[in-house]
Amino acid sequence: MMNGLIRQLSDIVNNYGLPQDFVVQASFYVLAGLACAFAFGVVAMRNIFHCAVSLALCLFCIAGVYLFLNAEFLAVVQVIIYVGAIVTLFLFAIMLTSNIKDRSIRQANSQALVSAVVAAAILSFFIYIIMGNPWKIPASGTAAHAGPGLNDIGRALMSSYALPFEFISLILLAALVGAIVIGKVKK
Amino acid sequence: MIIPILTFIIMVIVGAAALGFIAVSAMFLIWWERKVSAHIQTRYGPMRVGWHGALQSVADVIKLLLKENITPAGVDMLAWWFAPFFAVVPSVMVFALVGRDLNIGALYVMALTSICVLGIFMAGWGSNNKYSLLGGMRSAAQIISYEIPLILALVTAVMFAGTLSMQKIVEAQKGMWFVFQPNMAVAFLIFLIAGTAEVNRTPFDIPEAESELVAGFHTEYSGMKFAMFFLGEYTNMFIISALAAVLFLGGWSGPFLPPVIWFLIKTYGIVTLLMWIRWTLPRLRVDQLMGFAWKVLTPLAFVNLAVAGWVLLR
Repeated sequence: MMNGLIRQLSDIVNNYGLPQDFVVQASFYVLAGLACAFAFGVVAMRNIFHCAVSLALCLFCIAGVYLFLNAEFLAVVQVIIYVGAIVTLFLFAIMLTSNIKDRSIRQANSQALVSAVVAAAILSFFIYIIMGNPWKIPASGTAAHAGPGLNDIGRALMSSYALPFEFISLILLAALVGAIVIGKVKK
Repeated sequence: MIIPILTFIIMVIVGAAALGFIAVSAMFLIWWERKVSAHIQTRYGPMRVGWHGALQSVADVIKLLLKENITPAGVDMLAWWFAPFFAVVPSVMVFALVGRDLNIGALYVMALTSICVLGIFMAGWGSNNKYSLLGGMRSAAQIISYEIPLILALVTAVMFAGTLSMQKIVEAQKGMWFVFQPNMAVAFLIFLIAGTAEVNRTPFDIPEAESELVAGFHTEYSGMKFAMFFLGEYTNMFIISALAAVLFLGGWSGPFLPPVIWFLIKTYGIVTLLMWIRWTLPRLRVDQLMGFAWKVLTPLAFVNLAVAGWVLLR
């Protein structure tokens, strides 16, 4: 009964709520804006711990943006791996570093000019690519609009993209062995 | 015009009902934990407020709401202020799944439980207290380590069901609960152990081991902020138990009683089991804990996964 009630209520909300487009667009802009703001925070904050938390939030917002592309699996995996594991390890490393707590880091160094030029070049390259693409968007409701499912991703990884997939696992293995070699205490 | 306003009101009511359920469930679990622990130790536990102390948690919540909010000197304001929210919000987001089916439901829950560690980190870092910092670091190491066997156990169940959707996982167990198959029973055991570690409970509660760390990451918190950590912890315990019930014990299916009741019976059954474990076993040492995760649980989970693959493809 409870389940039925909840389903009915969510049906009402889905069918008669605010115009779907408006909600989708508004939440997209909020998420994208937050992602940009947190990305800025990563480079602009003075405390390195705050930078790392900002990075976690930025990656979380990007996972939200993936949802708009109907890439649910990618979004969830992004949160598990990037937020749940990688940034957590960053934070762990920061906490293990002594005398880092009260130090405020500089936000610019002598290579600021060069990096600005490189960043601008990369940005214009991306804008060029994005503007040049016709972006055929499948009509909503069709199978293509729903995006690739988990099965499609799995099949693609094991068939047409098997070589890159294996290559990545080789790189990860190399990184793993390297980490053990570096981390091993010398007797 | 009237319909959007009506839907807005409905959304607010649904949201409030979810929050209400989370709060009441956490309050019930705190009372239940005190009663279970008391009876294990041949005590009575809370008896004064309400029937067998049933309203004790309500009284505690009122006390925590009215308590002074102390901010110690030298805290990192940003991390200190936001840490309690990071501890609660992901757990609340899990409840967005109620009443709907997501293709990737099981992974969605895992993702949200895995980011709760951020709140513990921020509390540990922001408190300007070495015990808090140590607690936060231990917690991070623990949660990252135990997440691997947890996800591997989940993958075993997902392989048997052939889907990540909670609805379909439950449907796949119509004939027989997964837990009755030999290598799913192993997966269930791994899931329970890793889940206990993931929600920082004894024997894996070294992040807040009171005999060495005062209270770990939440030592410096008081009043409502402290209550938020408590709420997060008990909600997480509920979520892990609910996930175990869905993955291994047939979820909300069962005869005679409505599905919601079955779901709650199974979930609270596992919660009680976790409490039983907590009040029976002593705490592990920090090196034993990490050694157990990497040298026993993770290899076992991998072997179990391989055996599951062999059973399925045979």
